[in-house]
Amino acid sequence: MRSATISAQKKLGRKTVAVLPVHYPRELFTAMDVHTVELWGPPGPPRGPDAGRIQPYACAVVRNALAFLASGGADAADAVLFPHTCDSIQGLATLAPDFGGWGKPALRYLHPKGGDGTAARAFVRAELAHLAGELTRLTGRPLAIPRLAEAIELHARIDRLRGELLSRRAFLDRTDHALYRLLRRGEFLGSGDHLAELTVAAQGIGEERAQRGVPLMITGYVPEPMTLFDSLASAGAYVAADDYAAVGRRVPLSPPADGGDPLDTLAAKAFMMPPCPTRGGDQDVRMAYLETLYRRSGAAGLIVHVQKFCEPELFDVPAIRRRFARIGAPMLYLEGELENSLSGQVVTRLEAFVEMVGAGRKAP
Amino acid sequence: MINRRVRYEIVSRALGPTLVAMERWRSRLRGRRGGRTEGPFGPPLESTRKLKELTTLHYLTGRFADGAVPVAWVTSGFPVEVLRPLGFHTVYPENHGAICSVKRIVPELSEAVEREGYSRDLCGYARADLGSVATGKTPVGRLPRPDLLCCCTNICQTVLYWYRALAAHFRVPLVIIDTPFVYGEARPHLLAYVADQLRELTEIAERVAGRKVDRAALIETMRLAREGTRLWDECLRAGRARPSPWTGFDSFFHLAPIVAMRGTPECNAYYRMLRDELNERVARGVGGIADERVRLLWDNLPIWFNLRDLSTLLARNGFNIVCATYTNAWAEAGSMIDPADPEGSSARAYVHVLLNRDLPYKLSIMKRLCREYGATGAIFHSDRSCKPYSIGQIDLKGRLASEAGVKGLLLEADHADPRSWSEAQAYNRIHAFMELFA
Repeated sequence: MRSATISAQKKLGRKTVAVLPVHYPRELFTAMDVHTVELWGPPGPPRGPDAGRIQPYACAVVRNALAFLASGGADAADAVLFPHTCDSIQGLATLAPDFGGWGKPALRYLHPKGGDGTAARAFVRAELAHLAGELTRLTGRPLAIPRLAEAIELHARIDRLRGELLSRRAFLDRTDHALYRLLRRGEFLGSGDHLAELTVAAQGIGEERAQRGVPLMITGYVPEPMTLFDSLASAGAYVAADDYAAVGRRVPLSPPADGGDPLDTLAAKAFMMPPCPTRGGDQDVRMAYLETLYRRSGAAGLIVHVQKFCEPELFDVPAIRRRFARIGAPMLYLEGELENSLSGQVVTRLEAFVEMVGAGRKAP
Repeated sequence: MINRRVRYEIVSRALGPTLVAMERWRSRLRGRRGGRTEGPFGPPLESTRKLKELTTLHYLTGRFADGAVPVAWVTSGFPVEVLRPLGFHTVYPENHGAICSVKRIVPELSEAVEREGYSRDLCGYARADLGSVATGKTPVGRLPRPDLLCCCTNICQTVLYWYRALAAHFRVPLVIIDTPFVYGEARPHLLAYVADQLRELTEIAERVAGRKVDRAALIETMRLAREGTRLWDECLRAGRARPSPWTGFDSFFHLAPIVAMRGTPECNAYYRMLRDELNERVARGVGGIADERVRLLWDNLPIWFNLRDLSTLLARNGFNIVCATYTNAWAEAGSMIDPADPEGSSARAYVHVLLNRDLPYKLSIMKRLCREYGATGAIFHSDRSCKPYSIGQIDLKGRLASEAGVKGLLLEADHADPRSWSEAQAYNRIHAFMELFA
């Protein structure tokens, strides 16, 4: 599917950039007619021997990505973007371009960590301008500010629909698997095509509750393997609230401001996002956000679905555990591995958790 | 507050030094000189005793610091200079983690927080520190409660997540100096960003300390920090002699003052003493090990809990670690500090630390060290607890071999947690590596 999309975009004369997780200014790429295809590993076993160039105690996203890049998996792309997500992606961003695995242009997007003060805001603005310069070199075309304003508007519509589909989940007659497949198609579809699909899906949000199962909230890095949702559905549950870095955490908390310099507007968006440990920020603020999300959604339990060796996510697990214990919310901790399918043991734990939470709901 | 301050001053200026002097006297009476006295090593360094005194005094004073003076917990790569003129007592949880590892209490501390949900896959220093906070257990008696947490991402992003957790626990301000990774050369807006954050840091630190930074005192601290870096570099450079007057394992311990006391007169006085002793050993042809045959480079943090056994194994076979990327890192970036431009030069210095730079730079440093120190082999400590230092090592090992003819060994371990260490397997690999030099 990704290959077909890339081919179609190339026929339109667009360059393609493969993008490592998580946060990056998609609007800028859209404005410069650059098609982005995200590279979350890919999941499954590594696609080549180069995974062995990174120790097995690093996360599978970077090991698989190196194998994928080095084996030619992303050769259709014209460049790779490495956002400043974590130590491992930061390391991959020098390993692959400098020591082999990726010979085409390597772009970096260094978003700030922790702060949201004047220094951080100025830095984001400068990074965006720098990235625009890199994309100009790649495409041979400068950034046109009116195009950026249009792209911001387009992505605001996409974000609004994604947010609506997630927040009104209970009224949408789709399986979790189908919903997540739709949302994750945004990782590689052209923005216009993704908007069209989301628009159709949003029309399916009804007035009547469509989900009758046990409502759960889920937090983690990336929803892989996707069979997780099938197991949840079989057990009688659905995802009522999402805090995956790949999904919910990329929907801004408020729409962009009207008017002004589009680059400023785009820079401001970086500080309107839900709390994400890969950006740093106050842990208490994130816990308060998660609790609010949980309460608003009416979820009856929380699944913490963390990829093994993912430090940003792992460090927050005890705080999540404490917070949700305090409000009496049941929690299930799942440590996934991107390379592997869902084990029978994990499925059994999911089933037991849903059964336990479901029984609790029925109790007077 | 006044009573606490008086007690702190008494301990730091009178009682502490007296206790340290008494211990020195008792030690002399027993005829102990400290450090190793026999086996495959050279005579022990006299300076080691002074190092122990410095460390002891630092942690002893720290027990009485909270409530007396402002206390900051600080990451090792943090631009600490601005805190000194404000009278902060600084605690380095990484240094404390190393002490916990040497004392082999990391598993106990770690298990305490693993029960809270911290994964065993996280950094061993972080687990040790959080475990110490949770249980109150520490080999240094007591750590003072922080008034300010200071975290700089130039050594890793792990410290960011770790200090967020500390901030949530202690409910005190957290200052983050975010130093974006440098690919090639640092771009001007990156340096401006870090300099701006340093100005923001000053405002927060002044608020916590309740006074303004004395500019003259700051400039003097910067001068001391730069001089301390130069002195540390001179100590390391003594290792170019054949035989090297000390071992890389010695240098790991003697690194403590430049990490934890950078920018103080005590730090510099100590390194003058150490440098002079090392140069004197060089002049006399005294080596760190008795029979130095093969000279090695060490990459990554030490395996703190196994230093003695590992150094003995290598020394018995005539192998000496004469240089290390880790110790060298503290001799490099500090030279960029310019007292005339505290914020601008600090930004440049603290952005350009080894761990914040790309792999070609790391490779160039390794090649230079091997060339200048005459190292023909390298041990790459593949450190389960430190991913940013370890990612790329497999390629670095291959390139160092093919481009500089330096044989390499990738040694799986952990800098803090002995549960991730398989001694038989590791020693088997080291023996096989040593045979390459037969």
